[in-house]
Amino acid sequence: MMERGKISPVQMALLMNPAISATVLLLVPAITAKQAHRDLWLSPIWASLIGFFVVFITYQLNKLYPKETIIEYSEQILGKLVGKLVGAVFLLFYLHITGIIVREYGEFLSGAFLQHTPIAVIIGTMVLVCSFAVIGGLEVIGRASEIIVPIVMLLYLFIFILLLKDLEIENMFPIMEKGIKPSLMGSIVPQSWFSEFLLISFFLPYVKNKKKGMKWGMISVISVMLLMVLTNMMNLLLFGNLTPSLTYPVMIAARYISIADFLEHLESIVMAIWIAGTFIKITVFYYVLALGTAQWLKLSEYRPVVLPLGFLVLLHGLWSARDLQELSHFLATSGAVYILSVQVVIPVILLLVAFIRKKVQQRKGSLQNESPINH
Amino acid sequence: MSLQSIIENSLLLLILIVIVVFLSGCWDRQEVNDLALVTAVGFDKKADEKIELTVLVFIPKGGGSQQAMDNSSSEGGPQTLIRSAVGITIADAMAKLQEKLPRKIFWGHTDVFIFDEGLAESGIAKHVDFIMRHPQLRERGQIFVSKQKAKEVLSLLPPLERDLSEVLRELGQHKLGLNITTKTLAQMLRSDSGDCALPWISILPPVEAKDPKQTIAYITGTAIFKKDKMIGLIDDSLTRGVLWLRDEIQLAVITIKPPHTKGYISVNLLQAESTLIPKIENGKWKIILKSESNSDIVQNTTNLDVTNPAVVKLLEHHLEQATEKRINLAREQVQKNLKADIFGFAEAFHRKYPDVWNKEKDRWHEIFPDVEVTFKTKNKIRRQGLTS
Amino acid sequence: MNLRRKIIKFFAETMNIKEHSSSPSGDHPVTDKDPLSIHVAENVITLESIYADCSDVMFRHFLIGNRTKAVLIYIDGMSNIEEIDKNMLTPLMRQEIETHFDVRTILEQALTVSSVKEIKTLEDIIKEVSSGNPVVLIDQQLQGFAAGLSKWEKRSIQEPSAESVVRGPRDGFIETVSTNIVLLRRKIKSPHLKTKTINIGRYSQTEVVIMYIEGIADKTLIDEVQNRLNRIDIDGILESGYIEEFIKDHPFSPFPLILNTERPDITAASLLEGNVVILTDGTPFALIAPTTFYSLLQSPEDYYEGFIIGTFIRWLRYTFLLVALLLPSVYVAILTYHQEMIPTSLLISVAKSREQIPFPALVEALIMEITFEALREAGVRLPKNIGSAISIVGALVIGQAAVSAGLVSAPMVMAVAITGISSFLIPRYSASIALRILRFPIMFLAGTLGLVGIMLALLTIIIHMCTLRSFGVPYLQPLAPIRKSELKDSIIRAPWWSLKKRPHWTGDYNKDRQPNGQIPSPAKGNE
Repeated sequence: MMERGKISPVQMALLMNPAISATVLLLVPAITAKQAHRDLWLSPIWASLIGFFVVFITYQLNKLYPKETIIEYSEQILGKLVGKLVGAVFLLFYLHITGIIVREYGEFLSGAFLQHTPIAVIIGTMVLVCSFAVIGGLEVIGRASEIIVPIVMLLYLFIFILLLKDLEIENMFPIMEKGIKPSLMGSIVPQSWFSEFLLISFFLPYVKNKKKGMKWGMISVISVMLLMVLTNMMNLLLFGNLTPSLTYPVMIAARYISIADFLEHLESIVMAIWIAGTFIKITVFYYVLALGTAQWLKLSEYRPVVLPLGFLVLLHGLWSARDLQELSHFLATSGAVYILSVQVVIPVILLLVAFIRKKVQQRKGSLQNESPINH
Repeated sequence: MSLQSIIENSLLLLILIVIVVFLSGCWDRQEVNDLALVTAVGFDKKADEKIELTVLVFIPKGGGSQQAMDNSSSEGGPQTLIRSAVGITIADAMAKLQEKLPRKIFWGHTDVFIFDEGLAESGIAKHVDFIMRHPQLRERGQIFVSKQKAKEVLSLLPPLERDLSEVLRELGQHKLGLNITTKTLAQMLRSDSGDCALPWISILPPVEAKDPKQTIAYITGTAIFKKDKMIGLIDDSLTRGVLWLRDEIQLAVITIKPPHTKGYISVNLLQAESTLIPKIENGKWKIILKSESNSDIVQNTTNLDVTNPAVVKLLEHHLEQATEKRINLAREQVQKNLKADIFGFAEAFHRKYPDVWNKEKDRWHEIFPDVEVTFKTKNKIRRQGLTS
Repeated sequence: MNLRRKIIKFFAETMNIKEHSSSPSGDHPVTDKDPLSIHVAENVITLESIYADCSDVMFRHFLIGNRTKAVLIYIDGMSNIEEIDKNMLTPLMRQEIETHFDVRTILEQALTVSSVKEIKTLEDIIKEVSSGNPVVLIDQQLQGFAAGLSKWEKRSIQEPSAESVVRGPRDGFIETVSTNIVLLRRKIKSPHLKTKTINIGRYSQTEVVIMYIEGIADKTLIDEVQNRLNRIDIDGILESGYIEEFIKDHPFSPFPLILNTERPDITAASLLEGNVVILTDGTPFALIAPTTFYSLLQSPEDYYEGFIIGTFIRWLRYTFLLVALLLPSVYVAILTYHQEMIPTSLLISVAKSREQIPFPALVEALIMEITFEALREAGVRLPKNIGSAISIVGALVIGQAAVSAGLVSAPMVMAVAITGISSFLIPRYSASIALRILRFPIMFLAGTLGLVGIMLALLTIIIHMCTLRSFGVPYLQPLAPIRKSELKDSIIRAPWWSLKKRPHWTGDYNKDRQPNGQIPSPAKGNE
């Protein structure tokens, strides 16, 4: 059996939240600020619309094929050859993305904290830990996220509260000075992140209470959006016009906390929290990759492919970009189009084709009903 | 079989990784005792566009607690250490400085940055870049401009605090002068007006009989910058006015001389809040400074009865006038003479009139000196202290 | 190649408890299921050969009613001699009995003993004698009988030293399983409290009793426990720990998956929550299955004192759990990699104290921790009178001397001491051992990768705990997966009148244990 575990809709929402937001909080505020300037806190709101859209589409697709993931039903919808091709596209895409994610993680840790440690070690150790979770299965991932995510959220709010005394609300004004365009432009990159919600197509088959799946999916989108708005707001109110020039604004914000001369230098706490969130994100993507590969190759068990895939992910992490500038440039420009086209356009096509097929079959069925011929 | 092969693989992989991780060593390990803890940094201008970088390093002397208890409490030798090096940029100087220090320079606790006058006049933006970019330096460090050379200032031995950086930090937090962190400075440099201000320190003249090094540097005023170059200086009483305009005033004692009486009344400021309200009327740019504050009477050398509400009202009126006068003096100097917008007028106009601002912003340095400033001050006297 | 194959086989085998297809024949002492011979003399010869060289097994030949030959077999020291004399030998030897009689008549009319049992096979005789029950074999009868008159020296009931409380009952289990059952019966008087006995151990024939409350405990759970116990094939069970290792779900996890306790009140409370209890003869430690991680952090006192105090102490325990696990590692990590995290003045004093120390922080921490562990182990074996004196004076003096000799720094001693004290806050010894072991890998990772290493280690531990199941119940329930009704009892300690539902492993039986609305209030006083 491929995946025996079942998770509850709450667990799914809980594990999707860091799966999207963990890396968003790192680089994206600066990228958004470059386009949106002072309106950067509006961008996530526009971007979340894509999130809702993707959740809706995935849910509809899952209603048509309740027990299968997107790799499996692509073949059913588009026929064996094209379906397999589409599946391959998805898998390669996810391999690439996972490599990018671990690279982002490695770059951050290396640049801010462990400068001399080779990036391969940083990435390798994290991939190894994630592989334990992936081998453990979906239930383990669900349970682990139930523990980790609330704690991460709480600590994150804690940082925000500690910074309250340093925030200056005037930095927010004037709102929409140049109209709506800057915030819309700034929302393109977050949109590519929100489209990651396509991942729930891999989880919905294993969710216990499917009706609530849609509801909790939406709740998850809202929670990610709120988190991003909060982050952008916090950065804006603290740094004002400085935000676009900071590489990792959230970390610098954490470094800025100083309460009673004692509670200072909290950036390592930020890092610790953030590692936990990234762990869930990498695990989710890694799991999707392993499960998808096993389903694509029609294997009976996905566990054997986990470790080899992990090695591949590590390699991709090292190869995906020459340096950090290239990476963030990619994410800010062509990356957004790339991600959106795979995660939004292809599922829409799938849904349309599936719909048309269903309609055709219904018509065929009704024609058969009119002329009673026994087969 | 699959279970077995998984166990096989993971065992081997685990062993490999463990070996790799541990045998090749820990790369980022730094022992505390291999670090030179830099608590303050000074930058001086040297000839040929060079910079002299001076660091104040803390010496952890004193070994185990037992030894300290056995010996007498005074320890021979100072607690801090000064080292300097010259380079083209700060980073360059830092590399040369490391040659002179057996321990690795650790910037994680650097709280104070001092620029000397010469460097301030030739522009500090490029040096601020180093502070913001380096991963170890904190954005919460405080920046000062000093009259004497930073190297001299850093070699002082303060009698009361642990070292000079502690002294300057605490003085900055009194908020009797400006208290600018690196982040604030960076924000000011990037703001709509681009001008900034930094606290100005100079060495307190030492007591005659003692060691001339046993003294501190203290904040005596504010250095005013146009963009990132220093153009002028205002003294500490004018600085109070600037603080009022920036809504940063916390400690102040205002002394007024009520008319028709002998003597003075001094009040101690408790809370103050001021806001800038910009107005553009008929092409004329105006700003109203609205401020409210509460004070307590702290010394009364007149014969007036301060428990009488009518008297208090009169005093409040005079207090407001005195405050406005003080603020105005400061504003005159900075706005008209030095022409530097360190109060945030530019942002205020930007926020309220974004379209007008976007049209006129290139002319700001012309408009600024002519902005008309009026005051709406309300200064309440809350209590009269413990006697009457 | 060979070695690898061996390792893998070893792993694979221990993952399942294989049923030994055939027990090695030969040295089996208990074989005969043969019925008794009708001649008592033959039986005696058989038994004497079985019990050859056992000088404590007594054979007392006597005549019933001055006519029929009979023999009394018992083990000296395990049977109640006075009762045997008074209530078995006296009536039998003095009685006038008809020529034709059978065992049943004797039992009904002559034997004034409350607990008797007919036995038909040699195996039964040996079993009864080994349990201390005297057996009487009668000539010309195919059956004998055994009387339940066992008595031996046993410990008095005292409070267990490792699990003492300030408020609560002070009784504890002892090594005799019948007394333990009695202790539980006195707490739960309902007839639904069932006891099922099995004997495990080829040579030890240890009596193992499964107890559960019918109607509360899940049937599948009971069956599973029984299955697993029946599969155990071992020479002897000397302690419940042996059983524990055989029936654990995850044999390689350092975390205890079955609770063991000496206290009857904990056991009774678990029974009421639907757990299954395993009592083992010869040890006072009862096993409770299933268990979750939170049970390991609970002390019965939480439930006896008020709920606000209970909640506070619980939070204290959770905090110190983290401290005990992470403090030395965090200390090493911060000192070695993240010096900017410490406030400046603190860093300076730490740097001062570390000036003379020749070791890097990680090595120093390891030395201190290992020494502390050694001291703790040694402390267990110190004679009681010297023990406390040595610990106080020794710790102070040794600690002070080490610091002034410049071997370790004072902050490190502090850190290790606090860690030690925090690990004592964990009520269950088995859990604290797990933590002690886990501390060391985390320290290594902290010394190599700093806080990143600690986070990775923590994540690995959390993943591991998420995969654990104890008899089908996820180990981290109710936090993962979340069950709202049970959160009340793990995060905080809700007052008794609000704990309305039983924990979910009771299956779907009997969810409600209390009706609503029992919060005390003045209005109810007058009803």
